[in-house]
Amino acid sequence: MSLRTWIYFFKYAFINILNNRLIHMISMGTITISILLLGSLILLSVNINNWIKEWGESLSMSVYLEDGIDEKAKKRIESTLIHLKGAEIKGFISKEQAMVLLKKGLGDQTGLLDGLKENPLPASFEVVFKEVRNHQIDPKKIKKSLEKIKGVNEVQYSEQWTERIKGLMHVVKLLGFVIGCLFCIGVLFITTNTIKLTIYSRRNEVEIFKLVGATDWFIKIPFLIEGALQGIFSGLIALLILFGVYSLFAMKTVHLFGLPALNIIFLPNEYTISIILLSLILGLLGGFIAIGRFFNL
Amino acid sequence: MIQLFQVSKRYGTKLAVENIGLNIRRGEFVFITGPSGAGKTTLLRLIFGAERPTEGQILINGINLTRINQLKLDLLRRRIGFVFQDFKLLQNRTVYQNVALALEVTGESPGIIRKKTHQALRAVDLSKQEKAFPLQLSGGEQQRVAIARAIINDPLILIADEPTGNLDPDITREIMVLFRSINLRGTTVLIATHSRELLKDTEQRIVVLNKGRIVDEIA
Repeated sequence: MSLRTWIYFFKYAFINILNNRLIHMISMGTITISILLLGSLILLSVNINNWIKEWGESLSMSVYLEDGIDEKAKKRIESTLIHLKGAEIKGFISKEQAMVLLKKGLGDQTGLLDGLKENPLPASFEVVFKEVRNHQIDPKKIKKSLEKIKGVNEVQYSEQWTERIKGLMHVVKLLGFVIGCLFCIGVLFITTNTIKLTIYSRRNEVEIFKLVGATDWFIKIPFLIEGALQGIFSGLIALLILFGVYSLFAMKTVHLFGLPALNIIFLPNEYTISIILLSLILGLLGGFIAIGRFFNL
Repeated sequence: MIQLFQVSKRYGTKLAVENIGLNIRRGEFVFITGPSGAGKTTLLRLIFGAERPTEGQILINGINLTRINQLKLDLLRRRIGFVFQDFKLLQNRTVYQNVALALEVTGESPGIIRKKTHQALRAVDLSKQEKAFPLQLSGGEQQRVAIARAIINDPLILIADEPTGNLDPDITREIMVLFRSINLRGTTVLIATHSRELLKDTEQRIVVLNKGRIVDEIA
């Protein structure tokens, strides 16, 4: 097909969209909502993944001190901890504070502690390591070296945490994929039907084209271009709306379970491009499926 | 030019045309007449390739319609002009664009499209209305646009289904003069009508259909 014919196709695809503004707006509105839902799901999934990754990358460690440790030794330990790569001291919990926290945790069963003559709980430093992977932090090694310091009784960290996080990430990815696929089928179904509606409203036009000897592809291509344009525009509008909503939420810092503040991120570029491409493909495919039944003249 | 051999068309259990044998020579002017439901439109649709016969063979300019694929049929239709009672014009395109459409689908160059469209519009005396939209025209003018579109490709055959059904007697006469002038240029013209007025005093061949069969032929 010559360039002139393609120019003709695009020209009439745009003219047809303008001439059938209302039906195209309804169609695009429906596709936009579908893509918006799909985009929201992807955005949520991307953020959950990101949060899980951030949590997975932060390691918490409790450094328990020996009883009766003097202030000088405590300062030395604190200084050692501060200078560890990626470490941040979240707080110092004294023996008394540890008891208060334990009592709080026991709730109604605080009575169990009544028999204690003295407080057996050790004081501790609570340390959080950030960007574990980037800093190549080895918790086992740190534990060993810290336990050698005079005044440190024991070091504990959550070894299983990272493994659990990895499992959770896997589940979230799988769920996202399944729900995403279902959404895609839904979007395709809606797109097909809305485009079918636009074509149905112009079945006389199709008939006239056939009467003057237009080949099937000559008639189909402008409809497919319309479908593709509808898809792209709907995808862009959906992304703009999604970005607007994201901007509103991103203004607030999110705290969850007292863990480090969570960043809300927008879709990475590859996802944005993928959504636009997906919208284009869905528009094309919807147009392709929809148009089939109108060519039996 | 048009040959039908024992052609029948069945829709479910209903037989629309039955055992039709017809031979129309190049350059002939033929009326197909009969009461409503006689099978006139079905016969034209069969000749145009819009329907495939249940039985029999149809040859157009030597090409067997029952044996060609869709693409070849589309290409053949470019050599057949069709005019309908309801004009079948694109309402959102101008008179010029409606007429030019028949050439645009062939991939013709813009220069030739412009030249031939103006020629066709001149032939039906609509040059001044080329920028108007169909709904801004009278019924007779709309039918002339449809005729201009049908003749722009210099068709071998011009088929018209009740072309004057919606028009008053004066306009009907004008349209018939146009068809005769097209026929005089060598195009085979086939017109389906149930109007007795149109057939009165005609010297052209008349094929009479009733209940899907040819019941009479007046040469």
